[in-house]
Amino acid sequence: MAAHSDHVKHHNRICVPGEHLGLESEYHTGPGTYRRNGSIYASLAGHLCSRTEVETELPALTVLQQEIQITVPRQKSLVTCKVVSITSKFCRCDILSVESVPLTETFRGMIRKEDIRATEKDKVEVYKSFRPGDIVLARVLSLGDAQSYLLTTAENELGVVLAKSEAGVPMVPTSWCEMTCPKTHDKQLRKVAKVQPHYIAYAS
Amino acid sequence: MAGLELLSDEGFRLDGRRPSELRKIRLRLGVFDQADGSAYIEQGNTKALATVYGPHEVLGGKGKPLHDKVIINCQYSMATFSTNERKNRPQGDRKSTEMSLHLQRTFEATIQTHLYPRSQIDIFVQILQADGGNYCACVNAATLAIINAGIPMKDYVCACSSGYVNNTPLTDVSYLEESQGGPVVTVAMLPKSEQIALFKMDNRLHVDHLEQVLEVASKGCKDMYAVMNAAVKEHVSRMAKSMECS
Repeated sequence: MAAHSDHVKHHNRICVPGEHLGLESEYHTGPGTYRRNGSIYASLAGHLCSRTEVETELPALTVLQQEIQITVPRQKSLVTCKVVSITSKFCRCDILSVESVPLTETFRGMIRKEDIRATEKDKVEVYKSFRPGDIVLARVLSLGDAQSYLLTTAENELGVVLAKSEAGVPMVPTSWCEMTCPKTHDKQLRKVAKVQPHYIAYAS
Repeated sequence: MAGLELLSDEGFRLDGRRPSELRKIRLRLGVFDQADGSAYIEQGNTKALATVYGPHEVLGGKGKPLHDKVIINCQYSMATFSTNERKNRPQGDRKSTEMSLHLQRTFEATIQTHLYPRSQIDIFVQILQADGGNYCACVNAATLAIINAGIPMKDYVCACSSGYVNNTPLTDVSYLEESQGGPVVTVAMLPKSEQIALFKMDNRLHVDHLEQVLEVASKGCKDMYAVMNAAVKEHVSRMAKSMECS
């Protein structure tokens, strides 16, 4: 995610699930590995490498696969989603990626009216915050009901990051609650995110 | 025993194998592009195809998502042309439902289910040709498909069956040997940690022989593991090479 001075060492070794990789006293467990009885074992088939993030700490063993990473949204994780539909009480969206890992299949999410912003919650209107098609940065509030994840945008850094106007051009934010179309100069209301560079984690 | 001698005086079985010999194994990983993971296995004349989808959102009214782990949904089916007499329906009968449940239990024991809460993994296995050891072929194929899909597992699961004829345990019994009515023990094992994920016995076997038969079955699982391991390693290194080239 962030630009750490990661020190990655590739061991020239292919490992398979259940293979013994090392001792817990020598390494941390990274993705694709697990701990049992003080030892570290592989849980995926792939290439072994060890990564040192901080010099003083133990290196983390990871098993790298050629295929894409698999994740699911968790509580408090930052997600990127696309608004699908809005009602007066909530807005439904499809979760496209978790942190910086894109999902192969979308998960359903829901932003309730009271979770759109932190202050003056009673004055929020859903249609003044989101429109279908907007790309929204949100945080997973809870795992919600059986249907969908509950998301929140009640932080300055969260909200709409990309919205297209009726003319089909991406709009430019003018304030925290307004966006302007550069072509038609049409003003539209949105819950705009104050975009933080370390939140936008895609490859440069 | 109806005239058939399962073990000849020279110590050979009907298909010419020795008692502790597995049937010829051929396998392939990644046979389909559409599925997240897939594998094909042939153990003698038993042929099985496994596909894995997920982890994805829990769909339909089938099951409720679990808040702390992933749902593993297994479906076992036999192609209508897989047996001597054409089957009327490939799945949904009592035998297939039981088999699906066994597969589900087996893989719940080895997939790291806590990593993907509130989602679902689908494992579909189909027997294309049935010649004994269907469960074993399914487990082995599904293990390879899960590895191909990149779903974290504690260990491989390898399955092997064994029978008992004339005071001799037989490994990897074929349909002919199964259908004679002798005891058949099926074991699904995590070969590295030597834990047993599933243990099943058909017909009666004297308890004095159990240990011996179990020993042979677990040896069969480990032999199976060696073959699967070689195939997986080869697959991973080939994938790595093709990545470097492109």
